[in-house]
Amino acid sequence: MGVNSDAAAVYGHKLSTVVPGSVSGEAVVHELADVDLVMKLHYVRTVYYFEQHETIDGLTIVDIKKPMFPWLNSYFPVTGRIRRTEAGRPLIKCNDCGVRIVEAKCCRTLEEWLRVPHSARWRPLVPDKVLGPELHFSPMVYVQFTKFKCGGTAIGYSWSHVLGDPVTGTNCINLWGRLLGGNPPPKSLLPHSARTPTGRPARQAPASATPLSVKQVEPVGDFWLVTNACKMATDSITITESRLERLQSEKLNGVPAFEMISALFWRCLASVRRGGREPRVVTICRHKPRAKRCAQLSNEQMISTVSTSAASPVDLDLAELAQLVSKQQVDETKLVEESIDGDGGKPDFVVYGANLTFVDMEGVDLSGLDIKGEKPVQVDCVIDGVGDEGAVLVFPRGADAGGGSKGGAAVLILPEDQIMKLKEVLKREFDIA
Amino acid sequence: MPRAPLPEFSSSVRLKYVKLGYQHLVDNFVTFLSIPVMVAVGLELVRRGPQEIVGLWRALELDVIHILCSVFVIIFVATVYFMSRPRPVYLVEYACFKPPSNCRVPFSTFMEHTRLINSDEKSVQFQMRILERSGLGEETCLPPANHYIPPHPTMEASRAEAQLVIFSAIDDLIRKTGLKPKDIDILVVNCSLFSPTPSLSAMIINKYKLRSNIRSFNLSGMGCSAGLISIDLARDLLQVHPGSNALVISTEIITPNFYAGNQRAMLLPNCLFRMGAAAILLSNRRRDAGRAKYRLVHVVRTHKGADDRAYRCVYEEEDAEGHTGISLSKDLMAIAGEALKSNITTIGPLVLPMSEQLLFFLTLVARKLINPKRKPYIPDFKKAFEHLCIHAGGRAVIDELQKNLELSAEHVEASRMTLHRFGNTSSSSLWYELNYIESKGRMRRGDRVWQIGFGSGFKCNSAVWKCMRTVKTPIDGPWSECIHRYPVHIPEVVKL
Repeated sequence: MGVNSDAAAVYGHKLSTVVPGSVSGEAVVHELADVDLVMKLHYVRTVYYFEQHETIDGLTIVDIKKPMFPWLNSYFPVTGRIRRTEAGRPLIKCNDCGVRIVEAKCCRTLEEWLRVPHSARWRPLVPDKVLGPELHFSPMVYVQFTKFKCGGTAIGYSWSHVLGDPVTGTNCINLWGRLLGGNPPPKSLLPHSARTPTGRPARQAPASATPLSVKQVEPVGDFWLVTNACKMATDSITITESRLERLQSEKLNGVPAFEMISALFWRCLASVRRGGREPRVVTICRHKPRAKRCAQLSNEQMISTVSTSAASPVDLDLAELAQLVSKQQVDETKLVEESIDGDGGKPDFVVYGANLTFVDMEGVDLSGLDIKGEKPVQVDCVIDGVGDEGAVLVFPRGADAGGGSKGGAAVLILPEDQIMKLKEVLKREFDIA
Repeated sequence: MPRAPLPEFSSSVRLKYVKLGYQHLVDNFVTFLSIPVMVAVGLELVRRGPQEIVGLWRALELDVIHILCSVFVIIFVATVYFMSRPRPVYLVEYACFKPPSNCRVPFSTFMEHTRLINSDEKSVQFQMRILERSGLGEETCLPPANHYIPPHPTMEASRAEAQLVIFSAIDDLIRKTGLKPKDIDILVVNCSLFSPTPSLSAMIINKYKLRSNIRSFNLSGMGCSAGLISIDLARDLLQVHPGSNALVISTEIITPNFYAGNQRAMLLPNCLFRMGAAAILLSNRRRDAGRAKYRLVHVVRTHKGADDRAYRCVYEEEDAEGHTGISLSKDLMAIAGEALKSNITTIGPLVLPMSEQLLFFLTLVARKLINPKRKPYIPDFKKAFEHLCIHAGGRAVIDELQKNLELSAEHVEASRMTLHRFGNTSSSSLWYELNYIESKGRMRRGDRVWQIGFGSGFKCNSAVWKCMRTVKTPIDGPWSECIHRYPVHIPEVVKL
C-alpha cells in the first residue's frame, strides 16, 4: 500500500482546544534556558496503540478531555505560546491558550495498521505540525485520538523539544493518564514564576572551541523546522534478549547495553556509508531520569561526542568501538549552552542529526501511560526535525515495546535509502532482523 | 478664599440642609397633615366630655336594623378591598448555573480560534479590538461545541448544553429549597435563540416528572430582556391561581448561534455571549412569606417596537454569504437610552419618593411655561433603590447607563463584575448580578433592588424587588470560589 493511501486511511479530523482549568495568572512568563533554545528545532512524536477493550472504547471525548483541565493546571506553561523579548530571545507567555486536540477515525483495524511499515505508520496518527510560521499562534503540544475500525485506539502525542527533553514530555502525558484513571492531581505545582523576563548578562564570545555535537543552521526566523537535503524515513529494529546477551558475553564484557547497541549501529552505518561520508564523529545524547511525579519542564540531556581519530569505524572491531563509545565520550553540554547568545537566543542549532546521533531513551517512561489500567500494546516514538546525518533512538531494555520484553530496541531516523542497506548489514553480520 | 462659582451652589452646606428638610417634609406630607387633625379631634373630644358624646349617640336614634346594615356595609367594603388587592408574589429562592472549568475560554484561545476559522484579516482584527475592550475576563465559558475549530453546532450539542445549564440550575434550586418537583404549579422558560420541538419546558417536565396539569409556557425570540418578561407572566398567573408556586427559567443557549461570517455588525455576539442560566422560584403562598428572600413590587415593561429604527436595531438575518447572525445597528446605544427614558418615566412615579417627583414636576412645568432651555431635572434614582442590577449586555451599555442615571461606581459594580466573570449571559445576567450583591453581604432586609433588562424589539423592562430578610452570604453558587477576588480593576484595553 502506498504512503498516500495510508495517510488517507485516517479521516474525519476534528480540531479543538483544551485549556488549563484555572487562570495561570496575569502576565506570567516561562523563561527558556539556553539549552532549551538549542533544542528548539526538534519535536518528539509518540504514538501509543491501545487494543480493543471496552473500557477504552467506551470513553467519550468528554471523558478524555475532563482530566485534561486539572492536568494542564499542573503543566500550564505547555499551554502558552512563544513570544520574543525586545532583543529577540524567545520565551513562553503563559496565556493559557491551550493544547490542540485532534479526533480522527481510521478505516482499518488496529491489526492491519500495525502491519504497515514503520515510516508510514506513525505519521498519520500524530499531528506533524511545528512551531511557526505564526509563532504567536502555534500550539506546542498536540494530542490526537484515532479510533480504529472494530475498536482500538491510537493516541498520538506531539511534544516540542523546546519545552523539555523526552523524559519530561513523557512524564507530562503520563500524568494525564493517571488523572484519567481517577488519581488526584499532584500537590506540587510549577511555580507561577516570572512576570517579566529577567535580564540576562551579555555573554562574551566563547573563547573555547565550537562544539562538534551541534550544527549551526541558517537563521530559521519564525518557522522552527529545518528542511532535509534528502528524504528521511524511520524504522524500528528489535534486538532479542538472547542476541543481546550473546553479544555482551562474547565480545563486550562490562560494556552497558546502550553503548553496545550504539557501537553496533555505528559500525553498520559506517559500512553502509562507506565511500561516501563516513560518520567519524557521533553525538551521544543521554537523558537524566527524572522523578515521575515532578512536573518540571527542562532540557536536561548530556550531549557528548565520540570520534574515531584516523580509522574508519568499519575497520575497528565491534569490541573496540564499544569501548571507545563507553570510555571516550567528550562532554560538550556546557560548550553547547555557551554557544547560545544570551540576548537574542541566536544562533539556530540542529542537535539530533548534526552528526549521527545516538539517543539513550532509557529514562523515557513510554510504558507509563495507561488508560484506566490498560497499557499500550505498542509504542512508536520518533523525533522530527532530525538533521541529514540521522539519529538512532536506543531503548536499551525494550522500553518501547510495552510488552515487557527485556531485549533492546532501536528506532532509526535516517535517509530513506540507507535504512534498507543497514538492515541487510545487520542481518548479514549480526543476525539481527 | 474665592467664592464658590454658581454651578457649585447646590453643594454648599446650607442648601444641603434646605434640600434635606424639603425632602422630609414632602415625603412625609400625609403624616405631617394628619398629626394636627388628630390632635384637634382629640382635643375636641376631651373638651366635650364623655356625657355629651353619649348624648350625641342617642340623638342619632339608631335601631338594630340600622346598626346591622352599617356593620354589613363596612364588612362588605372591607372584603371587596382586601379581595381586590393584588396577591403578593414572593421570590422564595433562585439559583444560577456555575459554568464548569472545562468550558473555560481564555482570551488567547478565542483569538487563536478566530484566526483559524476566519479568513478575513480585517474581521479578525476587529474581533481582537472588541475583545480587548469588552470588559470580559479570562474565566468566561463557552459550551463544548464552540471549542472546536470551526465550532460544531448540532441539534444534539444544543440540547446537551440546554440540559447541562438548565438542569444544573434547577438541581441547585431544589437542593436549596427542598422543592418537590410535583409541587410546581407553573413553569415559564425563556430562551431566545434555541427553540426545539418539544420545547425546553417539555424537556424540564420530562426530566423532573412534573405534574400533568402543570401550566407551562415557553417564551422564545424575546431577546435578552425576556427574563423579566417571564417574571411578569409568572406574576400575572399567580394572581389568578391562589396558593401556587411558579418556576421560572431564564437562559440563552450559545451552541447553535455561532456566526461564521465576516460582517462586523454581526460579530459582536460571538465575542460577548457566554453560557449561563438561572432558575427562580416564585410563590404566592402565605406560608412562603416567612422564608422568601424578596417580594416583587413592580414590573414595568416598555416596548419601542412601534418605531422602525428600534425594531431593526437588533435584527437576525443572513449576510451576503448566507451565514445567519444577529446584526446590531449603530444606533443601539441611542435607542437603548430612549427606551430607558420611557421606562423610567413610567416607573418613576411608582418608586420615587414624593420629594423627587414634585421637583421633577415643577421643573417640567418650569421648562414648558417659563424657560424651555432649562436643564431637565434627572430624578435621583439612588434615593429609590439600594441596589441596581443592569443587564450586563456589554461595557458600552453599562457605561451609558452610568452616565445617564448619574450612578456611582459602586452601583454598577455588580454589572461590571458579572460581565467580567461570566460575560454576557443574556436574560440570566440579572440574577448573577443579584447573586454578586448577596455574595458581598450587602443585601439587608428592606433593601430595594431595581433590575433593568434590555433586549431586541427594542424592549426595556424593569423589575423592583424588596428584600424581606437579610440574606446570609451564600456558601455555594457561581460566585462562591471567586468572590474574594472581586471587585477587580478592569482596564480600558487588555493587551492580548
